[in-house]
Amino acid sequence: MGVKRLTLAASAAFFAMTSAAFANKPTDGGYWLQDAATPVMVELTKLHNFVFWIITAITLFVMVLMGYIMFRFSEKRNPVPSKTTHNTLIEVIWTVVPIIILLVMVVPSMKLLYMQDALPETEMTIKVTGNTWNWEYAYPDLEDQVEAFISNPLEKDDAGDLYLLKTDAALVVPVDTKIKVLVTSSNNLHSFAVPAFGVKMDAVPGRINETWFEVLPGKEGTYYGQCSELCGVNHYKMPIEVEVVSKDEFKRWVANGGSFRKVAALGGTATAAQE
Amino acid sequence: MVAIPEGKVGGYGAHDDDDDKPGFFARWFYSTNHKDIGTLYLIFGIISGLIGGYLSFMMRMELAEPGIQFFDTGHQYNVFASMHGLIMIFFMVMPAVIGGFGNWFVPIMIGAPDMAFPRMNNLSFWLLPVALICLLISFAVPGSASGNGFGGGWVMYPPLSTSGAPGPAFDFIIIGLLAAGFSSIFGAINFITTILNMRAPGMTMHKMPLFAWSVLVTAFLLLLALPVLAASLFMLFTDRIDGGTGFFDPAMGGDPEMFQHLFWFFGHPEVYIMILPAFGIVSHVVSTFSKKPIFGYLGMAYAMVAIGVVGFVVWAHHMYTVGMDVDLKAYFLAATLVIAVPTGVKIFSWLATMWGGSIRFTIPMQWALAFIFLFVVGGVTGVMLANAGVDVALHDTYYVVAHFHYVLSMGAVFGIFCGFYYWFGKMSGYLYNKWLAAAHFWLFFIGVNVIFFPQHFLGLNGMPRRYIDYPEEFELWNQVSSFGAYITLAGVFFFFAMLVEAFIRRRPASENYWGEGATTLEWTLPSPPPFHIFNTLPRIEDTDDGH
Amino acid sequence: MAGHAVEHDYHLIPPSPWPFLSGVACMIWGLGMVVFFAGLVDRTGESPMMEFFFANGLDSLKSTMTGDGSVNGGWILLLLGSLMAAYVMYGWWRDVARESEAGDHTPVVDIGLRYGMIMFIMQEAMFFVGWFWMFFELGLFHKVRATWNPDILENAAGYADSMAPGVTSVNAWHLPLMNTLILLLSGTTVTWAHHALMHGDRKGAKWGLFLTIALGVLFTFLQLIEYAELYHLRETGHEAWIGNDAYGSAFFMATGFHGLHVLIGTIFLFVCWARLMKGGFKPEKHFGFEAAAWYWHFVDVVWLFLFAFVYIVFAIGGGVH
Ligand code: HEA
Ligand code: HEA
Ligand code: CUA
Ligand SMILES: [Cu+2]
Repeated sequence: MGVKRLTLAASAAFFAMTSAAFANKPTDGGYWLQDAATPVMVELTKLHNFVFWIITAITLFVMVLMGYIMFRFSEKRNPVPSKTTHNTLIEVIWTVVPIIILLVMVVPSMKLLYMQDALPETEMTIKVTGNTWNWEYAYPDLEDQVEAFISNPLEKDDAGDLYLLKTDAALVVPVDTKIKVLVTSSNNLHSFAVPAFGVKMDAVPGRINETWFEVLPGKEGTYYGQCSELCGVNHYKMPIEVEVVSKDEFKRWVANGGSFRKVAALGGTATAAQE
Repeated sequence: MVAIPEGKVGGYGAHDDDDDKPGFFARWFYSTNHKDIGTLYLIFGIISGLIGGYLSFMMRMELAEPGIQFFDTGHQYNVFASMHGLIMIFFMVMPAVIGGFGNWFVPIMIGAPDMAFPRMNNLSFWLLPVALICLLISFAVPGSASGNGFGGGWVMYPPLSTSGAPGPAFDFIIIGLLAAGFSSIFGAINFITTILNMRAPGMTMHKMPLFAWSVLVTAFLLLLALPVLAASLFMLFTDRIDGGTGFFDPAMGGDPEMFQHLFWFFGHPEVYIMILPAFGIVSHVVSTFSKKPIFGYLGMAYAMVAIGVVGFVVWAHHMYTVGMDVDLKAYFLAATLVIAVPTGVKIFSWLATMWGGSIRFTIPMQWALAFIFLFVVGGVTGVMLANAGVDVALHDTYYVVAHFHYVLSMGAVFGIFCGFYYWFGKMSGYLYNKWLAAAHFWLFFIGVNVIFFPQHFLGLNGMPRRYIDYPEEFELWNQVSSFGAYITLAGVFFFFAMLVEAFIRRRPASENYWGEGATTLEWTLPSPPPFHIFNTLPRIEDTDDGH
Repeated sequence: MAGHAVEHDYHLIPPSPWPFLSGVACMIWGLGMVVFFAGLVDRTGESPMMEFFFANGLDSLKSTMTGDGSVNGGWILLLLGSLMAAYVMYGWWRDVARESEAGDHTPVVDIGLRYGMIMFIMQEAMFFVGWFWMFFELGLFHKVRATWNPDILENAAGYADSMAPGVTSVNAWHLPLMNTLILLLSGTTVTWAHHALMHGDRKGAKWGLFLTIALGVLFTFLQLIEYAELYHLRETGHEAWIGNDAYGSAFFMATGFHGLHVLIGTIFLFVCWARLMKGGFKPEKHFGFEAAAWYWHFVDVVWLFLFAFVYIVFAIGGGVH
């Protein structure tokens, strides 16, 4: 029963943890978390893998035990059933052992939770507004230089392979910088989610939610996410595209009023179009 | 096909002509008989299961490959998903386990001649078709700017269910769910009163069969959780009226998140409402076919009580990403994990019941074994989700869909089929064909695993829920998942073939067709039991284990 | 119940039309609700018949009140459903009363009825938990709202120092205090009636019950006056009105649903009074009466909570009109 699947999953886990392929969008036929690009996601992945091993072990234990019982105590092998209905020791064990397991789990889990939530000294703020159905990005600290802009999904012809991920205007942020994200919505609920960052924050009308991320050094690139709270007819079609550039490039991008083309003209660095 | 029946053939059944059964119309429309009402509930559950199943197969067909194939718009897909969730939960699982098996077997197991309030019992039933009709009407009337029907998810979060769904489609859903809710509340009052007040002489609470215990706990959950749903539905209703209230409208100082708290205060107990009766059924089946009494009976009963109690204080684990205070999240994280402990007690007690037993792998036992294993798979992914930190990555992805289908489409539904095959002969008086039933089981077992196991992968890889179309990276596992749906469909076909065959062949079932091991009171009655049972109340002796 | 002799005291009931008819009534009533509050068809003038019955009834009520002349029958289904429901309830409870008088309610059945009523009141209590929860959230967490999005929530900062900017509450020490006293008094009169009934003093029971009903009606009357007053204040810019603001919404839903329960309780007591006048109830057996009394006490307790929190505590933070 399911043995094959489980061993498959287990080896998949092992494989995923050892390989370090760089991925900033869903992987083709992928079966594991997207690669981490922020410290939070690194910790999140660790905790996920830790809990994964625990729950897999529990499932395997139940499966093996059940298999043994089905084999050993079948009608054929054990025609005369016993009449035992109590055994205090074993009942105490199967109450206490799960408690211990959960205690072991809850410690790192709380650590991660507080790490995600405790906003560190952030160096910069961006404001994300969910509209029906696109995202609006603003840079409150840089209001004078960069105007708020709307990021629309690209249609299939323009997006090609990246349909439902790619937009006409990415959110641009610097690498290695603690960034505070303010999330709100103008109408329905939405959720701002970038899997590789370990970020998912609901956009609630009337309310401003806060979260943060910091892309690890060397992890420049384009990251993709998708709206993760049901928001109506085009819920599937309001992707999130984040372009992470070096600090210098970001400065230049700001200096140019947040324009891609000028950046390319100036320094010829990676832009969304070249990705 | 050679008909191979399962269970002992007997000649008892169908000889209850001396009962004064009312005429057809009075019997089925004006019924005050718990067994007839139970039958109505089961038929209703099967019909709803077909509707809900149809909706899910359409979704799986759409998702089999990227692009939009069968539906007009994302809205239409959302309508299907929302209605699939609502119909499966409120109109398939709940009527089948509580209304159907509860009505049939709770009175019998505790040695009562009927339910405490037979008329109200029938009211509980008749509110359901009304509710289902309301939901079906909702498909056909304007729902939002994008088309007919309501597409806001089974959780009905505002503003998508208030300003986002201006047409009457959602009003019909509110009315329907209110009707279904009051149906369940009345049912709960009925079950609690029956169990507390009508146990046969000598049937103490601690001798009561576990299925009756499970229904008792479930009834309390219903009684305490559903009124809160009713209140929140009312609020949605008045918020939707022009110039009405503004509970969830931020422009009026209201709070859309408040609805989520109210909903999940109902919604989380609701998931235990769906699974506890299945726990009860599985306990009986495991005990019967191991030919052993339940191991750790008291622990089993009080584990269910504990699950019920703790189930009321963990609701916000569905809301880890709404921007709640971190200390609150920490509390809900810890509280949620606690539920794994009593649930573990149940799992291990089932295994211990089988240990040393003399196990027969009958059809109901196969469903029960599959239930135990698959419920563990679904349960432990719940534990993964309970870790608020990790849930940030998994919330609203297919990982959640995989989790809850493992506990619902394999937990609750396997529990239903388990009970159905266990009691089919008792209820109908006929034995089913073993091969058809086995084909049903295996196709279903393989099918649902193929549907839902790959959805864990999709979720981990980041595929969000409630998407009609997806980036091509998700294609592989979606294809596999949809393929599983076709296997499951074949399983559903064999279920109906089994039913048809059994009613054509009419192999009479004996009083206790499972033989040794089946010890509860229903096995002392003919199959099917006479219209009126226990005209002389059974007396439970002190030495009798009763469970 | 042919065949074997019945040797138990439970009450088996022959088939009854009422539950099924309740379902039918509920269907019509539900359709009526949707038509009245939402409307199934728009008023375009294309198919007058359809629009007469299925266009939004609330709109037509409003337009009738403002006198723009367009009437429709959007309320007909709702009325029909309500009437049918009333008829079914009448028939159903008449049957129950008859069975009780015929001696079907043996001691064990009587206990069952008590369990049933307790459970029913429990679920009613949970229903009110919903409203109170909403109210507490709005009342206690207003500071959180101060950090909300000023683009959408006008005056967000204003939430920091009071309940909600500009919201004034209803003065607890006028009509609401009166109503509290009235309900408390009615609690004593219904107990008087109960004790009188138990001691065979039917005259005292009739009077006690009559006074209780009178007090209940008085309560409803005063509540309506209060609502009417608020309605007029609304026109002078007062905020606590149902469609103005979430506090007004919570206030009216909570007190409104309580008012509905007072109404139900009054009817329940009235039915008992009618039965009493016709010679019903015995000193040792009168569960119908007791159930009504329990329900009345429940309604009373809910009011005390409303009075304490919705009126008094709420007034501490907001301005009082
Ligand atoms: C029958 C229904 C059912 C059941 C029984 C459960 C059981 C559990 N569920 Fe699930 N859940 C749902 C139905 C159900 N759930 C549904 C429908 C949703 C989605 C709703 C929506 O958004 O649409 C959901 C969503 C959901 C979420 C929110 C996810 C999200 O949206 O982000 C979470 C998070 O905590 C969660 C947790 C749990 C836990 C901890 C249990 C526990 O009760 C499980 C306990 C069981 C075990 C753990 C296995 C057996 C135990 C042992 C073998 C002992 C040893 C084990 C350990 C020490 C770990 N569930
Ligand atoms: C009990 C609940 C239940 C059950 C059984 C199922 C069964 C199935 N579900 Fe369901 N599903 C939900 C509850 C359930 N689901 C919920 C709550 C949601 C969330 C909705 C939302 O997002 O708002 C959801 C969402 C959901 C999605 C995600 C949609 C999305 O997010 O975009 C998908 C996609 O594959 C899916 C597929 C299926 C499939 C293929 C089955 C198959 O297993 C179906 C096979 C058929 C059956 C299992 C029916 C057989 C039963 C009978 C014939 C009755 C028998 C009765 C008696 C014997 C009395 N479901
Ligand atoms: Cu925006 Cu979903
Ligand atoms: Cu839950």
